[in-house]
Amino acid sequence: MAMIRALGLGKTFRVADKQPGLAGTLRHFVQRRHRDVPAVRDVSFSVEPGEVVGFLGPNGAGKTTTLKMLTGLIHPSSGSVEVAGFRPQRRQVDFLRRITLVMGNKQQLIWDLPPLDSLRVNAAVYGIDDAEAQRRIRDLAEMLELGEELRRPVRKLSLGQRMKAELLAALLHRPSVLFLDEPTLGLDVNAQARVRSFLAEYNRRYGATLLLTSHYMADITALCPRVLLIHQGSLMHDGSLAELTNRLAPCREVRLELREPLPASTFAAYGTLEDLQGRAVRLLVRRERLTASVARLLAELPVVDLEVAEPPIEELIGQLFRREPAR
Amino acid sequence: MGGPRGAARLLLRFWSASLAAEMEYGVNAAVELLSVLGNLAGSLFVLSLFFRHGHDLGGWSWDQALVVLGIYTLLDGLTSTLLQPNLGALVTHVQKGTLDFVLLKPVDSQFWLSLRIVSPWGLPGVAVGLVLMAVGVVRAGTPPSLPGLALALVVLVAASLLLYSLWFVLAATSIWFVKVWNATEVLRATLVAGRYPISAYPAGLRVLFTFVLPVAFLTTVPAETLLGKASAPAVLAGLLVAGLALGASRLFWIFALRFYTSASS
Amino acid sequence: MTRRRSDARAGAAHGLRIARVLLSTQYATMLEYRAEIVLWALSGVLPLIMLGVWSGAEASGGPAATGGLSAQALGRYFLSAFVVRQFTIVWVIHSFEEDTLAGRLSPYLLQPLAPVWRYVSAHLAEQVTRLPFVLAMLALVFLIHPAVAWLPSPPRLLAALVAIPMAFALRFAIQWILTMLCFWTERAAALERLMYIPYLFLSGLVAPLEAYPEGVRAFALATPFPWMVHFPAQLLAGAEVPVGRGFAALLLWTLVLVPIGWSGWKLGMRRHSALGA
Repeated sequence: MAMIRALGLGKTFRVADKQPGLAGTLRHFVQRRHRDVPAVRDVSFSVEPGEVVGFLGPNGAGKTTTLKMLTGLIHPSSGSVEVAGFRPQRRQVDFLRRITLVMGNKQQLIWDLPPLDSLRVNAAVYGIDDAEAQRRIRDLAEMLELGEELRRPVRKLSLGQRMKAELLAALLHRPSVLFLDEPTLGLDVNAQARVRSFLAEYNRRYGATLLLTSHYMADITALCPRVLLIHQGSLMHDGSLAELTNRLAPCREVRLELREPLPASTFAAYGTLEDLQGRAVRLLVRRERLTASVARLLAELPVVDLEVAEPPIEELIGQLFRREPAR
Repeated sequence: MGGPRGAARLLLRFWSASLAAEMEYGVNAAVELLSVLGNLAGSLFVLSLFFRHGHDLGGWSWDQALVVLGIYTLLDGLTSTLLQPNLGALVTHVQKGTLDFVLLKPVDSQFWLSLRIVSPWGLPGVAVGLVLMAVGVVRAGTPPSLPGLALALVVLVAASLLLYSLWFVLAATSIWFVKVWNATEVLRATLVAGRYPISAYPAGLRVLFTFVLPVAFLTTVPAETLLGKASAPAVLAGLLVAGLALGASRLFWIFALRFYTSASS
Repeated sequence: MTRRRSDARAGAAHGLRIARVLLSTQYATMLEYRAEIVLWALSGVLPLIMLGVWSGAEASGGPAATGGLSAQALGRYFLSAFVVRQFTIVWVIHSFEEDTLAGRLSPYLLQPLAPVWRYVSAHLAEQVTRLPFVLAMLALVFLIHPAVAWLPSPPRLLAALVAIPMAFALRFAIQWILTMLCFWTERAAALERLMYIPYLFLSGLVAPLEAYPEGVRAFALATPFPWMVHFPAQLLAGAEVPVGRGFAALLLWTLVLVPIGWSGWKLGMRRHSALGA
């Protein structure tokens, strides 16, 4: 049975249509005009228990809106959602005990007290008895490499320590579905890697389902065998990251360094010439012919050095969004 | 700063920008107006309770007491217009470390921090205060002469500067105590004492409100000047206290800046 | 049947544990802010200032000028009003607004506990933090002014100790209703400022209701305001008050307003889930 199932999910916001300036304000006051803006339209997907799924898309694509619908914070305008067998918008206690939402830019820990106090509150709220809570805190703290930080006021923690403590608080009730909105936002490279490996470990150890958004492609490549790409509210891709890369970039770039300069016409047989500067050559080769072309290049030309470059995924997605005409 | 004309031009820029930003909120205007009128009605009602049995209030007639209430309302409006928004921003600047930007600007920092923002929502209070003062003075039957009016104006300006100095010094302590904003609430709450002439209070409080918290110089002395019943020593003391307080606020700011270590987080 | 009873007992135990943990955590938070709380307490000096003016009026005009209250009764009344005000201050609208803006509401909503209890416990914890300071201030006043010092009779003290939390509940309910308007307007706090005006002038904070003209007093008593300050204060001061009527009014107003606040929350949640925020 699927852990998360979204069927034709859509959300339309009604926004006030107001002209800027004082005159616009007054006019709006007298005669209110509204516009319906679709934030998410007809999104369908399903996630199996234990899957880790990355949620990609530029700012304003509808990622957060979708996450909020999946957690039941906002009601869908159309379609249906089911998470762990519950309808999220009914916000039943049993549903709330099974999920968690972590937002990288917002915090729920009590600012002036040590994280342990917030954890105590969460333990009571979720009805976890003290001994069990102690055990879970110890386990999670160990996985997160948190120690005496849990005894220091939150305001005195670094951003990375704070995020780890947030994760601990969000996972104390051992949810089986984790929704993570930019969990590594603003963290330095080391802290990002730590959070990443923790999430992977949590997924492995408890078989939890993870759905996460991130601006850092490294998070996605490291954690998510499967990605959902959302753009202007619509689902554009559902599959592996490699498939997405292939779909977006059917060619690879082959960089050559030759012993001596050769005329441009030499390269037509191997691929499309992108750049030729003396002994340095850049060719675009279709993926399916890559192995054959590279073998022939090495065999037939005086090659000193050869390198196949993976096109950077950020750039590809960026290109896609620029290419895609606004609907 | 480029002399007084430069400063005036700068102020005009500041104020038109902050007014435009605030005017967006039409509801605010209505709420503030209602709140000023409601408070006025309430204050007049409470004041009238003291005159129900024909008694005076500490030697002040109803009309004379109106002048005190008017000056209080005026100063309270001024607080909402200039002191609270600007000095609130000062506290935020220190908290967020953005005071750095202010200190790096080629403008006197005290000037910038004190007058940068103007909030229109205190202006109804200022207007109501002026009307109350005028009504009180006319009905009291002792209209001041032209020199008397000029003197009253000087004393009023002095009272405003005194009020400003109190607020500024308090806000400047945010350099040491980050969460100082509550202290300004205490100041505002105690200054409510200025709604009534100082002689209405028992002797102990009178001393407190004159020498510790100079409420007397904020409303009673200006009202006495306006009504022509002020003694020369009281007026002189009022001007002196205001001048000293203003100078002290300047020195205090210079002193406080020596301890400013821009916030790290 | 037995199962239901044991479920109920488990539910109650769970509720009690949440209450205990929330209160102790909030208390620890409030202790971090004790300097601010002292300042907040100090900013409630209005009744003491008004005591000054009213004693002045009494000194020159006798009890006739103060609605029949002697200097001593005035002192007790305003000191009691000061105490009552200290323990009925409500600021939920500001915390709620801040939490909404900072995005803390969404995580709260995902936890199996209605957010209102977090605010209630914050207020109660703050009152505990305030208590020693209020006692110290009272002691100081009694030291300077031993003439007003008094010890309320045990039944009166008990009645006041019941009436003050009831007054707090009523005040909280009123502000909670306005707080729910946060879901519709960004100016809900401005409305609270408007609501403060009739509270200020009709509750008895600035003048004992005894000094009001008959018509105004009758009008005031028909509103919830005097029951939140004047009634508990006069209980504490040991003055003549209609005890039964006072408690009935407190209870009635609370019973009317709490359901409104509850439906406001339901409606607000419906709006929140449509808009997201």
